[in-house]
Amino acid sequence: MVERQASEAMAGWRKGLARLQSIGIDAVLISMLLLMAELLLVAFSGRRGDTGLLLTAEDILDLLHYAWIGLAGVVLALGWNVFYHTLGTSPGRALVRGVPEWERDLEWTQTLRGWFAAVFIEFTFFAGWLITELDLYAFLTKFSKAADIVRGLAHPSASVLHEGLVLLVQTIFLAFMATAFAIPVAFVLAFPSARNLTRGSLVARTAYTFSRTLMNFVRAVEPLVWALIFISWVGIGPFAGVLALWVHSVAALTKLYSEQIESIDTGPMDAITATGAGTLQVLRFGVVPQVIPPFLSFTIYRWDINVRMSTIIGFVGGGGIGYILKPRVDLGEWGEVGTLVLLIACTVWLMDIISAKIRERIV
Amino acid sequence: MTAAIAPRPVSRAAVRIEGLGMVYPGGVRALEDVDLEVGEGEFLAILGLSGSGKSTLLRCINRLVDPTEGRIWIYGDEITALRGANLRKVRRSVAMIFQQFNLVRRHTVINNVLSGALGRSGLLSSLMLTFPQSERERARANLARVGLDDRAGSRADALSGGQQQRVAVARALMQEPRLILADEPVASLDPALRHSVMRHIEALNRDEGLTVICSLHDIDLVERYATRLVALRDGRVVWEGLPGQFDRETFKEIYGEDAEPASNTGF
Repeated sequence: MVERQASEAMAGWRKGLARLQSIGIDAVLISMLLLMAELLLVAFSGRRGDTGLLLTAEDILDLLHYAWIGLAGVVLALGWNVFYHTLGTSPGRALVRGVPEWERDLEWTQTLRGWFAAVFIEFTFFAGWLITELDLYAFLTKFSKAADIVRGLAHPSASVLHEGLVLLVQTIFLAFMATAFAIPVAFVLAFPSARNLTRGSLVARTAYTFSRTLMNFVRAVEPLVWALIFISWVGIGPFAGVLALWVHSVAALTKLYSEQIESIDTGPMDAITATGAGTLQVLRFGVVPQVIPPFLSFTIYRWDINVRMSTIIGFVGGGGIGYILKPRVDLGEWGEVGTLVLLIACTVWLMDIISAKIRERIV
Repeated sequence: MTAAIAPRPVSRAAVRIEGLGMVYPGGVRALEDVDLEVGEGEFLAILGLSGSGKSTLLRCINRLVDPTEGRIWIYGDEITALRGANLRKVRRSVAMIFQQFNLVRRHTVINNVLSGALGRSGLLSSLMLTFPQSERERARANLARVGLDDRAGSRADALSGGQQQRVAVARALMQEPRLILADEPVASLDPALRHSVMRHIEALNRDEGLTVICSLHDIDLVERYATRLVALRDGRVVWEGLPGQFDRETFKEIYGEDAEPASNTGF
């Protein structure tokens, strides 16, 4: 009896949370739509700035009434959720609780939600066009300004070939070491980061939240920033590059691995659990055999990404071929840049062929 | 550990279930107030439409899912009160056979059979897949019993459905269980192959006295193999009886007014 009351209180609490969640999502979506609408209004109003020129994207963004529109968004979201019987299910409600039975068969044109989504998508494209300052005219008519670079790239110069090759080897090993050191760490972290394995105890759920948060944070920081951190830590050179790519690879591989674990067939896990096996044995027999082939192909793909990324890492002093590429880009030595770019392209192409072969063999 | 909390019921039942109820986290009620006693050496068939709670009932017995109400005893141990190592110890004596076989598809057949011995294996050696010679011999013997000793080195997913289910039976045997739970063991097999699997389960029940609880939806199979029947409808036990007592009336009661028995069931 007590348990039942407790579970009812729990259900009420959850319901409240779900309602709050759906109103929150609606408020954000409606505010975004209103902001984009105002942005488009301002942009096409013909207003001019102080200089007499048409308003730039930044000017327009400055003119938006964020606070008022946010407030309107909240009010409209509340309204939609209160009168959802007459207005139809709101997008937030549909996301949180699903679309109710009687609305499923309706065409999108028959629901407010459908029109909302359609207008939202339209506005996103228009606003995106304005904000990113798309300029079709320049794109189509001003190619000649870039012709030098393209000509240089097409006529590679042999003078950096030797140095380039040496640093290319360093690049490949740099990427390899970063990937290789990332595998065991990501492998271990992937299990606590998989939702389907961490539903049980409080400890498991805490481990999930902790590792997910940590990995999302690490992944959000660009490898370039990691490189700067490690360059001041261990000094300029390839080791800093290895560390930067390692940290980023651990986070990326953990995410890919754990998503793979989340999509396994749980049948074998059940079967191994039923034999009286312990947690580690269940993972070893019920999970690992299913995820090894995709893990391998992710890992090879990651190595490939690391080879490409290490070029940029080299720009800031993290070793590898980027180290000599940067000054040549700055000086406009397009022939030499062309050679180096070709070397990188060949490597990536070769690695792609090799990884395809390996994947064929394993899977 | 359990004995300290609740007095152990004096009963020779293999499985005793009291007031079992299960509500899934989404709010779906799968079982309601199920009381059941399964005697040692019985072959109990569970009947019912899909969604009537057969799978959930079987999965509650070895705690693959945790029931929300009620208690279950297996050979006197209250499994619903056990955790960790004690729970795993009881699970070792309860083998399970699944509709989808649930073999480790990328492992060899022999490794799949050996996985039945995980409950009593050393942690490190089992993680490295190095089982002792004695276990390997036992696994071979169990494979031979289901007639698949020549396929020991094949990958599990290279076998046909019927063969895979026989490997699953061998894996169950490897546990040296006292109780076998079988969840629609032949439902995904070709009708012609059903008896090839059911015969092995029957032999364990008849020759070695293992208790079997098996959900089935084919009335033919029920009549032929079960010693007792229990029918579920909407998560409740609606009928209990012996194979001979199962008639058209009962059929309607379990499967609903609209259901028709297949023409070859004999009534």
